[in-house]
Amino acid sequence: MSTFDQYLARVLETAAAEAKSDGSAAVEAHHILLAIAGEGSLALQSAGLDQAAVRRALDQEFSRSLAAAGVRLAGGMPDATPDPEKSPPVGASVRAALERSFQLVERKRDMRPGHVLLGVLQAELGTVPRALALAGIDRADLCERALTEVRA
Amino acid sequence: MPDVEISPESAVADQLAAVGALRRLADRLEDAAVEEAMRGDWSWPQVAEALGVTRQAVYKKHAKRLIAAGVSLRRRNG
Repeated sequence: MSTFDQYLARVLETAAAEAKSDGSAAVEAHHILLAIAGEGSLALQSAGLDQAAVRRALDQEFSRSLAAAGVRLAGGMPDATPDPEKSPPVGASVRAALERSFQLVERKRDMRPGHVLLGVLQAELGTVPRALALAGIDRADLCERALTEVRA
Repeated sequence: MPDVEISPESAVADQLAAVGALRRLADRLEDAAVEEAMRGDWSWPQVAEALGVTRQAVYKKHAKRLIAAGVSLRRRNG
């Protein structure tokens, strides 16, 4: 496995663990974003987004989305024991993000970690752009930072 | 038809995002409530009736998880 393949495998594994622990039915692009932040991304860090900050932004997005339906979670999400054997399947948003990532390069061996981040960031709708906006992050600027990192 | 800007943060986007968030909350709430019920005195048929699903469906969805969590699934009355 190439370095990139190992990176992608780690990111997907971490994302699946995140999805499982937050009660999601599938692994989504925002779990990938969390995993990328956990691996340490220069682009994210330069925008002030360590893993904790990404998590806060996602939590905020979740609260805001519930609030749109008039629901407020007083004590956080209820606790439940997950199935230790089941791993959530990959969701549509991850497929779309990875498709975008692979379209950024001509050859698979040109893929870099930054391309995975770019694929996630290029979503125009959904949880990721909402969370970033709520955290006051300029998504276009963040994409620029990721591009710079990839070209370096 | 005028061009309406599709923004990830518009009121409509909020409503669509609410759907996903509510589904996630509902899933977690079901897991938590079923676990609490089965750690208490509830039986599978009672949990199923409360949820409006069949006993088989609720068992298939939750039994493995609850056994792994150490919840005793002994036969109960009802």
